[in-house]
Amino acid sequence: MIEVGHMAAFLALAACLVQTWYGLRGNRAMASGMAYSALGLMSVAFGLLIWSFIVSDFSVALVTANSHTFKPLAYKIAGAWGNHEGSMALWCLVSIGFAAAGAWRLQTGRQAFEARTLGVQGAVSVGSLVYLLFASNPFLRLDPAPLQGNGLNPLLQDPGLAIHPPMLYLGYVGFSFVFALAAAGLIEGRIDKTWAQATRPFVLAAWVPLSLGIALGSYWAYYELGWGGWWFWDPVENASLMPWLLGSALLHSIIVTEKRGGFAAWTVLLAVLAFCFSILGAFLVRSGVLTSVHAFAIDPLRGSLLLAGLMAYGGAALALFAWRAPALKGGPDWQFISREGALMVNNLVFFVATVTVLLGTIFPLLAEATGRQMSVGTPYFNLTFAPIMAVLLFVLPLVQASSWGATRPEFQLIRAAVVGGAIGALVLLMLWRMTLPLGAGVGLGLGLWLIYGAGRELLRRAIVLPRVFTLPARVWGMSLAHLGIGLFVIGAVVQTSGRYEQTVALEAGQSVVVAGWSVTLDAVRSAEGPNWYADRATLIARKGSSSARLQPEKRYYPAARMPTTETAIHKTGFGDLYTALGDRRNLDGKTIWTFRVYYNPLIDLIFFGVFLMALGGVFAAFGGRKAPARVDIDEPVPVSAAPIVLGPAE
Amino acid sequence: MKRLLYLFVLPVLMAFNDVPLTNPDLEARAQVLMDEIRCVACENEPISQSGAEIAGDMRQRVRAMVKAGESDAAIRGWFADRYGEFVLFRPQTSGASGLLLWGLPFGLLLIAALGLAFVFHQRARRRTEGGIIPVAPDGQDMSDGEDTPS
Repeated sequence: MIEVGHMAAFLALAACLVQTWYGLRGNRAMASGMAYSALGLMSVAFGLLIWSFIVSDFSVALVTANSHTFKPLAYKIAGAWGNHEGSMALWCLVSIGFAAAGAWRLQTGRQAFEARTLGVQGAVSVGSLVYLLFASNPFLRLDPAPLQGNGLNPLLQDPGLAIHPPMLYLGYVGFSFVFALAAAGLIEGRIDKTWAQATRPFVLAAWVPLSLGIALGSYWAYYELGWGGWWFWDPVENASLMPWLLGSALLHSIIVTEKRGGFAAWTVLLAVLAFCFSILGAFLVRSGVLTSVHAFAIDPLRGSLLLAGLMAYGGAALALFAWRAPALKGGPDWQFISREGALMVNNLVFFVATVTVLLGTIFPLLAEATGRQMSVGTPYFNLTFAPIMAVLLFVLPLVQASSWGATRPEFQLIRAAVVGGAIGALVLLMLWRMTLPLGAGVGLGLGLWLIYGAGRELLRRAIVLPRVFTLPARVWGMSLAHLGIGLFVIGAVVQTSGRYEQTVALEAGQSVVVAGWSVTLDAVRSAEGPNWYADRATLIARKGSSSARLQPEKRYYPAARMPTTETAIHKTGFGDLYTALGDRRNLDGKTIWTFRVYYNPLIDLIFFGVFLMALGGVFAAFGGRKAPARVDIDEPVPVSAAPIVLGPAE
Repeated sequence: MKRLLYLFVLPVLMAFNDVPLTNPDLEARAQVLMDEIRCVACENEPISQSGAEIAGDMRQRVRAMVKAGESDAAIRGWFADRYGEFVLFRPQTSGASGLLLWGLPFGLLLIAALGLAFVFHQRARRRTEGGIIPVAPDGQDMSDGEDTPS
């Protein structure tokens, strides 16, 4: 069976080659047909791969290496992409899927542009498929077939992690389609409102899953790794954060292109960079050049191939950019105190923040080249990335309060100054009375400032401009997303500066006090699951009249010969009481167990904030689908700015 | 805040080699340092997070040095001398590499700000010299065009 999948993948490669050829020559019909065929073929290939995992066909080398008959069905399926080869197959499927989605949804009235987009995306798919089939082939057989497989890395046997990689891939690969749109726009020499209107939904289609994927990974690390934290500035995390930062910048600059026709060259450059950073992320993760807790499928050959791909595609795109960008036209004139000006500041800060993360991530590599062994970790990013982003967050509500072209500062800014001053005074009061660290005070102030900004914007539009029921979805989207950032910042600051952590060794009956909660060890017993057995501790936590029972576990997966930590979390409403079971030790004939007990205040705001951002992104995407007949009165409409119908005409 | 700190510091004297310092200010300083020093036995963890035995010894050493009145820089230096710069998650600021690592982000931000200022200075001059009429400021409706009634 798997040979059929193998063949289908090769046929998909052929279809993508044909798609690239016709697409770049401007034949939309042929390119679309090929995109649909490639999607069908690749679905068959990936479906058969999943099928061999479901039926535990151990004659397939990949199944043997990553599956086991005792594994629950859901994780057999998720196991198909829980490894390097399978995840590359998923990558190819998503890449082809985006081309097919483009073939279906792109309707700008510019046939050649659409065809070329499909052509460039075809070329991206060709690269991915060549890498899949020649450097990480999942369809290989094993002879003789073993009777049992090695099992999935037990850390990955988790619902969060089952959907985390597909989400991230939708994000990374989604940016490849945005890149294709940018390249096609550059070939045509038209980066204008029509282009931006067609591209923006795809930016959101990449940005929303990427946000959710990062948040899922972060949440997984929080409850599965047992370290009590949610972000570790690990190279793999940074690799996903960089495209997200650039994507967020792009999301804002493309609004200027869409509404005013401005920032065209910058928007296109961001689209190219977001894609390059997605591949760079894959390279950093897959090549093993950086030590990371996540490191999987480390192989220098694959790393060099990815680097070659990055050079080829990124280089070609940047060359195209350098050649065509000078001819791009800007929008109408604008002054610094205006929405364009504020968005320009927003974009520059996003860009500097991305460079900072990149520098911190690859600096150990650079140091190694000069013969030094160095580490760059959380303290570095707290001292550089955080203050840089603070500038961005400070500017954010000012962006909303400004108008296009020019803003008379006295109107909005005076009000903003009053509120800002009040928040500043509150922060000073907190710093003085509560012995908060300075950074935490500033962070709290910024969080309040952002929430004010989001609420103010909604209020103004709903009441001052009395249009409460006709508020466009993208206004809701923007306000939700910005509210989400505000909540995220408050959660992050309170959790980071207000958490308590304690590593303790307890004997049955002994207790420890963390943040007012008295935690007593009742007993540690053994437990068993479908493919694991465990030590399960029972802890009784009490504070005042409330009490909770926590059962952290230490699991052993015999198939993978690996232990994992299962944390137990009690949600108190204001924060998490978080416990993880450590090792058993014998001390003077008594058995004692080590525990990590944390109190993480307001940590749910962090994940909820990101969820709101993603939800805002969904709203914003739907806001793009408007009735086509509207035109802006305040400037002449160029012929090229024909209205778009997204989706089939009704 | 301080009272809460006492609550979690005092009752854990039975924790094996992880006895917190009795002075909460010193313990807070030690905690910050322990977040900044990398465990030499693990993949990518600070000694404050690590369960490895050597991390426990390193934590004990940090607390002992804090208690002995050593400065943060001296403690970082001691660990760097002993285990190599590799153990410092917060790399030193001295030297060309330190300048690059710590200076580039803020330098870039400064360059961006200066660049913006320059561009707008030029524009403003061109506008007044060339007699180009600036876009009419519309302080009234601040909407983004999407829902402009016009």
